[in-house]
Parts: sequence; structure tokens; C-alpha cells
Amino acid sequence: MKKTRSGNYIVGCIIAIFFVAGNAWSAQDEKTTPGFAWKDGAEIYAKICAYCHDVQVGPPIRNRELPAAYIRAVVRNGRFAMPAFRAAEIDDESLTKLAEFISRRSTQP
Amino acid sequence: MTRKYIALPQGVSEKDFDAAINNFRKVLSDDAVLTSAEQLAPYIKTMMPVPDADHTPSAALLATTVEQIQKIVAICNQYKVPIWMISTGKNLGYGSAAPAERGQVVLDLKRMNRILEVDKDLAFALVEPGVTYQQLYDYIKEHKLGLWLSMPAPSAIAGPVGNTLDRGVGYTPYGEHFLFACGMEVVLANGEVLRTGMGSMPNSNTWQVFKWGYGPYLDGIFTQSNYGIVTKFGFWLMPEPPAFKPFVIQYQHEEDIVEIVETIRPLRISGVIPNAVVIAHALYEAPVKAKRSDYVSGPGSIPDEAVYRIMKDHKLGIWNVYAALYGTQEQIDVNWKIVTQAFGQSGKAKILTEQEAAEDPAFVYRAKLMRGEMTLTEFSLYNWRGGGGSMWFAPVSQARGSETLKQMALTKQILAKYGLDYSGEFIVGMRDMHHIVDVLYDKTDPEQTKAAYQCFDELLTEFSARGYGTYRVNTAFMDKVAETYGPVQRKVHKTLKKALDPNGILAPGKSGIR
Repeated sequence: MKKTRSGNYIVGCIIAIFFVAGNAWSAQDEKTTPGFAWKDGAEIYAKICAYCHDVQVGPPIRNRELPAAYIRAVVRNGRFAMPAFRAAEIDDESLTKLAEFISRRSTQP
Repeated sequence: MTRKYIALPQGVSEKDFDAAINNFRKVLSDDAVLTSAEQLAPYIKTMMPVPDADHTPSAALLATTVEQIQKIVAICNQYKVPIWMISTGKNLGYGSAAPAERGQVVLDLKRMNRILEVDKDLAFALVEPGVTYQQLYDYIKEHKLGLWLSMPAPSAIAGPVGNTLDRGVGYTPYGEHFLFACGMEVVLANGEVLRTGMGSMPNSNTWQVFKWGYGPYLDGIFTQSNYGIVTKFGFWLMPEPPAFKPFVIQYQHEEDIVEIVETIRPLRISGVIPNAVVIAHALYEAPVKAKRSDYVSGPGSIPDEAVYRIMKDHKLGIWNVYAALYGTQEQIDVNWKIVTQAFGQSGKAKILTEQEAAEDPAFVYRAKLMRGEMTLTEFSLYNWRGGGGSMWFAPVSQARGSETLKQMALTKQILAKYGLDYSGEFIVGMRDMHHIVDVLYDKTDPEQTKAAYQCFDELLTEFSARGYGTYRVNTAFMDKVAETYGPVQRKVHKTLKKALDPNGILAPGKSGIR
């Protein structure tokens, strides 16, 4: 199973060789496949936050109506042992969605 | 005068740095060149007992392509600006996402996060540096590839490229991660792109299946080093076995480590137990179930008497040996008989399987780690002292009982001198053990922070004096550890550095190399 082989491959190779002298390989990197992007706040919560905050490693944070601005600040700066998360990991727009998801009162556990 | 940057690279004027930043902005979009205090805040937080100011970056660059990285190194060479490369930036307890030296520019590759190939038949993956284990795990599940990952305890938020390049370990049969690495793409300091092994040959389709290529094997020099920027990384994955049997064996006395190691070694070398077995001390497992404050208060390390109460209250051994069998049910049945006979001989071992321990939170997270499932439960360790201070002390030991006992006793003695607890485990390699000790302290307490620094320094001094080398260390102690391996190795490292990166722009200070 090969995920990234495509018709653009050879064209990409030629273009990149023109741009970067002395480098036979750079082209293979310059494919148009997009990287990973978060779908929504619930996904970020499930794939990062829940591993600590839903299993008593960190304090519960859902259903506490924590202010969104506070959540954003803690995510970016970390708190005690909680690591900080960079915009490269959770971009600003996704962080807004995450903060909204955590702040929102939910009937879900 | 208002400062334009929160830090500057050593020896670079603000004028030159301005010019470099302007050039970076021409290569990347504006929002991918971070210079404000607010933008850089997540790069500054570390768990080390040194001022954050010592590791404050001047900027961060969020590159997404090889071509961008080639242009970035050209600018760095022009203005002599040093860059510190990170992938997922979750090297917690080893320096996190902060640079080794104040003022270095972080080259953050987290957004370079494509899974380029996963081959079901040949069981390998080729990924970019920003791919997390969680991302790859989800991809494998979604495509029903039947492959397992091996990852360290910060699984979900860490990634295979950074972990393997720092020679980290996991807990499955593929737990010695660099052994299973196969092929790298590396941007060199001069902008050239090297593909290691078979990847150097145009049209080769064996880059991820044959490690050695032709001529000197190069992959090793790009681990724990600053000789290049790894932009693609191949590694082998374990086919999902038909059956899996995790188990824990508990012992009640610290000196039993001798029997444990002598029993495990032949089983591990012969492959009866195929995975990276963990021999965890009670205090490594206790935070999953217990609070330190329920057993001890005030300064000083926890007394043995309190440790024994924790063991009793929470059904822990003083040593807890986590291992697993993998294969067909028939293979597991045969090997289980060998394991139980070996450990049953002395009558000291208490053997528990999923049948008895399925509800035990320590067993549950250990079983997940041994089958490559995502969990961050080991972070419970950080609640033990609180305050966010942690450094991994990681000396290597022979897989010989007498040696492990000596190392444990020496570590415990030095930690106690500084009022710190022994939260240790041994991860069993084929013939070695990674003795992993989380030096936990409260970073909000200046006295404890100072003690933690002195303690770590003494641990390194005393262990190296006895010939015990450290396999990996946080960014505050890299020079000290490099020194323990002697002048000839340092000279060779420096010679390679000069040849590959004459302007010293790539991560100066990594592993003590400049």
C-alpha cells in the first residue's frame, strides 16, 4: 500500500531540481499531499487531553465551565507538570474550538 | 529601550538577526516565523532545574517542506544563526521543546506531519518528523493494516522520528527503536539532501527494507547528534500477533532484583520473552494508585516503612516485572510454561496475568504500552512530588543481577542525600538494562530545585566514576555527560561537526558537540 505515489511525482522532481542545485532528492518531498489537520475540538480533546484529564492523571476539566481564555492560556503555557502545546501542534483556530468544547457544559461523561 | 526580541543568538547582533528574520519571512509565511514572547511561551517551559532564561529561544520557524529547510539553512549560514531542531517537541524530562542554549532559533518540524507510506506486506512506515504515534496509530487502524507500534510512555503526543533520533525505547519486541530504523532523509548544513542506505540510489525500492546500503553506515551519526536535519524517517513495524499475553511478576524485597535479572536474562536473550521487559520499583508504579501526601509529609525522601505500606495498600511488589508473550496461542502456551517454571523456582515470585490484574490501573497501562496502545498514564509520576520538576537519569547497566542491585543502591543513596525519592525502573534490553530514574522535584520550590540540580550532578559524577555511562540526558547536562565518555570520542564528534557543519549552525551543544 503506497499512500503518496502520484502522477505529480516526476513533474515535481524536475521542478525541484531546477530550484535546488546539487540535490537529487528534494523533489520527492514537494508533493501536494496535505499534512494532518485537526477536525474539531472534540477530536483534540480525545487524542490529547482525555489521556490525562479523563483518567485522574490531571484534574477533570470538562463540565466545569472553565473560561475559554483560561483554557487557551494553560494550553499555550502549560501548568506545573502539564506540558505547553505550541501553535505548531494545536493551531490558534483549533485551540479556540478546543477551548469552546471544554468550556461547553455537556451531558456526555 | 524596548527589546525587539526576547533573546538573541550568541554572537549575533540585533541588526544581523533582523536581516535573518526578514529572510526567514520570505521563505515561510509571516505566521510561521514566531518572535513574540506570547508565541514563544510554549517553547520555554521545561521540567529542568535551571532558569527558563537559560533555554529561551530567539524565534521559532514552522517549516513544512524540505525546500524551505534548505533555504533556512542557507540563511543561517549567511548570518551564523544557530537553529535547534524539534519534531513533536515532547522530549519531556530531557529538555522538552526548548533549545540547548539561550537565543537559538527553534526549527519546529511539527507541521511537517505527513505519513508518506505504510507498507502492510513489508511492515514498514516512512514518515515526516511531525507525525505523532497517535496519528500513525489512527492511520493504521483506519486502513486495517494489522501492524503494531512501539512507543515510549508519552505515546500519543510524541512521535517516532524524535524518539528514535534521541535513541529512545519502547516496550514491545520492537522496543529498542533505533534497531528498527531503516533509512533517513537528511538535509545537511550545506543544503544538500542525503538519503541514507539504499535511499541514495535513484529508483531503488529497498530504502525501507535494507538498512546498510553500501559503504560506511551513516544513520547512526544522525542520532543524538547535530550533523543534519532528518526530514524523512523509515522504520519497521511489528505485525499484529494472533495472541498476546501480558503479565506482571511481583517481588517483595529490593535485593530480589538479583534473582529477577538472573531469571530474565536467559529468557530474554533466547527470545522466550521477546519484549523490552520492565522491572519497575514500587515508587515508579505507586503514583498511578496512591498519593505521596497520604503516606509522608515534610522534607526528605520517603522512608522504606512508608513504601512498604504503599505496597500493602495498593497490591504492589517492591519490584514489579512487566512482560508479555506474543505469537500464536500454541507458542504462548509453550513459552508461558517456560516462564512460570523459571520464575516459580525460588517461591518468591507472585505471577499475575490479565485474569487477576485486569482491573489494576498500573497493569492496564503497562499492558497497553506492551501492545502499542496509546496511554499517557505514566504521567501520574509527575503528581508524586508535584510542581512540574522532572529529569530522567538514565545510566546503562549490564543485565546482571549484582550490577542492577549496585546501581539501585547507589542511586537511592544519592537521591536520599538530597531528600528525593527513588522512582526507578530497569528496561531490559538484550544484554543491557536502561536504568531509568525519574528525578522528581517541585520546581516551584527553589530549595528543592537547587537540590535536584546538585543531586543530578552528583549522580552523573558518581556513576561515571564507577564506569556507568548515561545513554541520554537533558539539555542542561549534555556537556557533563559528553565529558564522561572521554576526549577521543569528543574529538571525533567535533571533527565530524567541523566537516559537516563548518559554521556550527545546527543545534550547537547537542550531546556536547559544537
